[in-house]
Amino acid sequence: MNILLISEYILLGALAIFAVATIRITTRKKIAMALVGLSGLSIAVATMLVLVQNIYDLAFCKDIATALVFLGPVGTIAFARVLRG
Amino acid sequence: MTDIITLIQSAILIIVAFLVLLAAYGILRYRDDIENVIYARIHILGVTDVALIIALITLNAPLLAVAYFILVPFANHAVANGYYYGEEEQ
Repeated sequence: MNILLISEYILLGALAIFAVATIRITTRKKIAMALVGLSGLSIAVATMLVLVQNIYDLAFCKDIATALVFLGPVGTIAFARVLRG
Repeated sequence: MTDIITLIQSAILIIVAFLVLLAAYGILRYRDDIENVIYARIHILGVTDVALIIALITLNAPLLAVAYFILVPFANHAVANGYYYGEEEQ
């Protein structure tokens, strides 16, 4: 088995654990805490999609990751502006 | 026989996985009733952001890495600013 494939699977597992941690942060009481959690979740899912594209040769995953990387911080900025009032 | 580039890529991805796990532990270890804990969590997520930018460069996705490198400081500053002027004053 290829060593690069093993390390990609290790990173995939670490990102899955990190995604669960950010979801736990997202469900806290404060709105800003939810924004922080979602910001971390968006980059974690985007990197997971790039990894899936590399492992399984699914080209469309990179398009979804591109949309997520561009729209995740933009959505966070927009909601933070609303939060500021 | 694996070449040296593959070995370096694998080492970087494993280091990134370790940093991501460390950040996942870090954002969960503080209690919610500590004052200004949200700034600490934004700070800890910065570790993950930089680590995943390096991982994206390693995985041959430099456009995503550069885009995220430019966008994420604005997003984190907006969250901290919105909390400071909005939610914290309530």
